[in-house]
Amino acid sequence: MFPRITRTTMLTALTVFNLASIAPAQALDAAAIIKAAMDQWRGTSSHSTMSMTIHRPDWERTMVMEGWTAGDKKSLVRVLEPKKDAGNGTLLIGDNMWTFSPKVNRVIKIPSSMMNQSWMGSDFSNKDIARSADIIDQYHHSLLETQTADGHKVYVIQSVPKEDAPVVWGKEVLRIRDDYVLLEHTFFDQDMKPVKRMKTSKVGMMGGRMVALQERMAKIETKDEYTEFKMLSAKFDISVPGSTFTLSNLRNPRF
Amino acid sequence: MMKRTLPLLATLGWRNLWRHPKRTFVILFAITLGVWFMVISAGMMVGIIEQQVRDTIFNLTGHAQIHNPEYRDDPAIEHSMPPPTPAMLEILNSPKVKQWSSRVRLPAVVMSERESRGVTLVGIDPKHEQGLSLIGEPVVEGRALESIDDDGIVIGRRMAEKLETRVGKRIVVMSQNKNKEVADRGFRIVGLYRAELESTETAYVFTGRKTAQKLLGLNDDLSEIALITYSRDGLEPLVASLRQAAPTLETKSWKELEPLMVSALKVYDNFMIIWYLIIFGAMAFGLTNTMLMAIFERTREIGLFQALGMRPRYIVGQVLMETFILLLIGVALGNLTGWFTSDVIFADGIDLTEFARGMESFQMSSIMRFQLEARDLITINLMVIVLGLLASLYPALKAARYVPVEAITRT
Repeated sequence: MFPRITRTTMLTALTVFNLASIAPAQALDAAAIIKAAMDQWRGTSSHSTMSMTIHRPDWERTMVMEGWTAGDKKSLVRVLEPKKDAGNGTLLIGDNMWTFSPKVNRVIKIPSSMMNQSWMGSDFSNKDIARSADIIDQYHHSLLETQTADGHKVYVIQSVPKEDAPVVWGKEVLRIRDDYVLLEHTFFDQDMKPVKRMKTSKVGMMGGRMVALQERMAKIETKDEYTEFKMLSAKFDISVPGSTFTLSNLRNPRF
Repeated sequence: MMKRTLPLLATLGWRNLWRHPKRTFVILFAITLGVWFMVISAGMMVGIIEQQVRDTIFNLTGHAQIHNPEYRDDPAIEHSMPPPTPAMLEILNSPKVKQWSSRVRLPAVVMSERESRGVTLVGIDPKHEQGLSLIGEPVVEGRALESIDDDGIVIGRRMAEKLETRVGKRIVVMSQNKNKEVADRGFRIVGLYRAELESTETAYVFTGRKTAQKLLGLNDDLSEIALITYSRDGLEPLVASLRQAAPTLETKSWKELEPLMVSALKVYDNFMIIWYLIIFGAMAFGLTNTMLMAIFERTREIGLFQALGMRPRYIVGQVLMETFILLLIGVALGNLTGWFTSDVIFADGIDLTEFARGMESFQMSSIMRFQLEARDLITINLMVIVLGLLASLYPALKAARYVPVEAITRT
């Protein structure tokens, strides 16, 4: 959720990529591009605010949320607006996920049976939120083609899940710009028909980084049902105290 | 004296019976119809119950199971049990046990690209499930599981429809491992199984036992051991010996595991007796009436018998003998037609596939078979004959009480 890229990772990734573009080992560079993009996407530490709009044909609602991340294992999101949802939070540490709602005043650990349920009513499941970093090592990646768009190179990468990976998709296709902004992420079923797509509609500078400012997740068959994220503010390379990612902070906000 | 009187009474009864063949045929028809109906309703009931019991036992229950004592209340991973000890193995491998198998059986969620559903993930030892449970049967599509470390998954036919998936595709199974963390992995669907009930087909997914143990971090621990013997009755000594061999675990026979089934059996048994009585009630009025008519007709004749010195008890005997012969023929015909209906006409069962969805709510399978049990036939026949004789006792006693002079002079 939280864009972040350090200069070093970017440089390493670029070097790896440049070398690999000459070398025949295409699988390696595809994986490296995704890793770089995911690093950009999650980062090592960040503090951001964003809005999430859940749109359905007959209703729509927008939430404003505040989030912190540290590394790719820890993150915390808390709802600021609307008032009736304010204080609802989600804490992620590794594969474990907890939610807190001030209304019931209880921290709930999301059990595996609820992992496939929708996260805060959006088009993302709890699993999508908790596991998106898994794409790096649970898939075989290959670079399909390199396109050019808006003066940028765009890498089209196909990721096929490994045999025992806990992934239902047949394949995923990612379009990543040469500055590691993820432009599009399409999920295909096992008949290789597209099922849902996350598309970046606005890219810009924020907190000194080039990040996706607006992106939308929608099912292919129902285009008028979508979830849209807008980045409102973001700071990177800040020090986030370790106590941010604790159950007590989830319950009693100190940050 | 009995030796001579019985044949005499039988001859009298037999001849009396055919004085009015039309009337006899009518009442014979009524008795036959009644008995036929009792026989086929018993056959139908037993068929349904038998099917249900067999399905229940075949539906991963077996004749007896061994668990962690907490497992049945809360089938969670922390209520697993260790693999069987040598003392238990000795009993399990004894000739009394036809087949036994150890399983991992825990709640999980399966997901396809489009759907997700709660299921029970069952890790099995495919070779040992043969003859023990439905998963030991051949699959309808694809292949069955082959070994304990088979990492394919076999799901129900209906489950595949619900998940909008099919053989060859991958699904994700999610559960909780021993440390209460999410344990998940992808499985390729290698086969589809079928079961009598749709609810069964959507309840279980199967994989190799070792694969499940690895996924859930169980090492060699199990959820249950199920076994099947040669007879589903008289399991008590075996269960007792297993309890002795595994005092910390819980061993239960299917009757204890499925108390609902057992009480349903009792209800059906009692219901059938009431059902027989209702049918018999209708029949009895006809019988009494017919015999009464016969007595009235023969008033003069009975008076003459008495005047010639026949004791009243022989008069009673004569009427009862007549009824007895009548009942015997009726019962024989009723059994014959009942047998013909259930074992010849509907030998393959009645196909209720059209109504399958409705029948499922009664836990019935789509093909209904009749099953005639000697026990039920004996109950029906004895009941009809004994109660039939009781019903004709009234006309018989009435005949015996005639005053000879009055009877003879009646016109």
